[in-house]
Amino acid sequence: MNFSMRRFRAMVTKEWKDATRNPQILLNAGMPILLAVLFGQRGFEPGDLAYLSMPVLIAISVTGAFVQANMIAEEKEKHTLRALMLSPASKLEVLAGKSATTSLFALIVCAICVLVSGIPPVHLGYVLLLSFLLLLIFMALGTIIGLIARTASESSIVGLPILLVFVFGPIFVPDFDLPALMEFVHWLPSYQFVLAFTELLQDGGLRQIAGYLFYLLAWAAGTGVLSLLIYSRKRFDK
Amino acid sequence: MQSIIEVEHLEKRYNKKQALKQISFQVRPGEIFGFLGPSGSGKTTTVKILTSQLRHSSGHVQVLGDDPNRSRHAGFLSKIGVLTDNSGLYERLSVHDNLILFCRLYGVPDRRIDEVLEAMNLSDDRHTQVGKLSKGMKQRVTLGRAILHEPAILFLDEPTSALDPVNGGRIRETLREMNRRGTTIFLTTHNMEEAEELCDRVAFLNHGEISALDTPQALRLQHGDRSITVTTAHGKQVVQPNAEGAEYIRELMRRGELLAIHSNEPTLGDIFVTLTGRGLQ
Ligand SMILES: Nc1ncnc2c1ncn2[C@@H]1O[C@H](COP(=O)(O)OP(=O)(O)O)[C@@H](O)[C@H]1O
Ligand SMILES: [Mg+2]
Repeated sequence: MNFSMRRFRAMVTKEWKDATRNPQILLNAGMPILLAVLFGQRGFEPGDLAYLSMPVLIAISVTGAFVQANMIAEEKEKHTLRALMLSPASKLEVLAGKSATTSLFALIVCAICVLVSGIPPVHLGYVLLLSFLLLLIFMALGTIIGLIARTASESSIVGLPILLVFVFGPIFVPDFDLPALMEFVHWLPSYQFVLAFTELLQDGGLRQIAGYLFYLLAWAAGTGVLSLLIYSRKRFDK
Repeated sequence: MQSIIEVEHLEKRYNKKQALKQISFQVRPGEIFGFLGPSGSGKTTTVKILTSQLRHSSGHVQVLGDDPNRSRHAGFLSKIGVLTDNSGLYERLSVHDNLILFCRLYGVPDRRIDEVLEAMNLSDDRHTQVGKLSKGMKQRVTLGRAILHEPAILFLDEPTSALDPVNGGRIRETLREMNRRGTTIFLTTHNMEEAEELCDRVAFLNHGEISALDTPQALRLQHGDRSITVTTAHGKQVVQPNAEGAEYIRELMRRGELLAIHSNEPTLGDIFVTLTGRGLQ
């Protein structure tokens, strides 16, 4: 499949213009910021290390999954995908345009969240690397949600249980004495992200987070391949 | 290339429902070909198959020398333009922003937008958000999008609301002009005036079968009623086209009694009813 930068740029320009006027997407992007403000208000205790990663985790997962899912589902709902599929744009260019736009959103939301919640300085390069892998995973999940949902509003409903498991699992389950559930939460990439982030906050370096990086990389590869497979099999006619 | 679209014994089944039954026809390069049939007769199904949006069940289909099923590549897609009743626009974006996306996807210079907006009578609305346009205007934007890249074949699936009485003349002229410059047009409609005005040849589609295919002129001759209706102060009267009839009309005219005179040439709609036993609506 050939890839044209011109068509990719055209898609990103369109997606950005459209998404920044879409109330549903702006709401999704605003939610992590609101939560980050609340986190910042609460203030951090020295023992709170895991909590410090929450604003970043929420920003990336909510924006990554929901913005991506919304853009894909709406394109099906409004039959605009049909026009794209009839144009010389390849499916890969269309998906890449959406993913780049989602990433841009995630980056901005994440930066605002970090600023308002007042996270102490950690090694920026490693945080970016971890966050990037996490973003890939959530964008892949968002792509799958967007392909399953028939309408943009349905994508929020389909996405909600996933958000509950992946984001609120690592936030709330550790506070309760639920060994079986905790065992499950351990497998989640979001929890591994929290652990890696905690290592960095305790002055850990590449050696301490290498295992986490590989784990997230495996998840990113797995979900990425799965989403591409579902996307390429899907025929947008009928 | 003898024909630009070639269809032989085409069949399409949706689960149990048979939408197309053994359809065969050919479209020649440079032709405006009309597919005339009532709602549910299989027009959209045919367009979708020809434009690689849907797989057929059996039969042989070639478009631009290619099997549309295997032609989902940029080379084929940039040679066709499609207006369907359900291809959407980005409602939050302006008319201009909708078109500029497709200019860049097709690799067409941005200034082409001005020409298209002019032809579609939309120049004053270029910065209007598409969501705020009327149905007919939206369809004109969609038509503009379909012709941005000057395709070799233009598929128009029921363009009736783009051809409303106010803008229709200008748009028909644009279509004819494109056709003169070489674009083949495949048009489906249930509006017989539309077909009659634009098409070089028409096929009548009824319940997924073609019941006639010819030029509008030939169809009228075959099913012709060449009689003439004259109106006088005493009412209407049908006159046969012979010496006796000619003398009668001459007499009426000489006496100044002739109020109106009409040929009884059937419309395509009349012929459709004669052939299929049902109307076009
Ligand atoms: N996706 C589909 N699934 C099942 N039946 C369909 C589908 N699309 C069309 N049909 C049926 O096929 C027939 C032809 O439909 P269509 O091609 O849309 O007709 P037209 O465009 O002439 O109105 C109709 O009876 C319609 O109900
Ligand atoms: Mg139809």
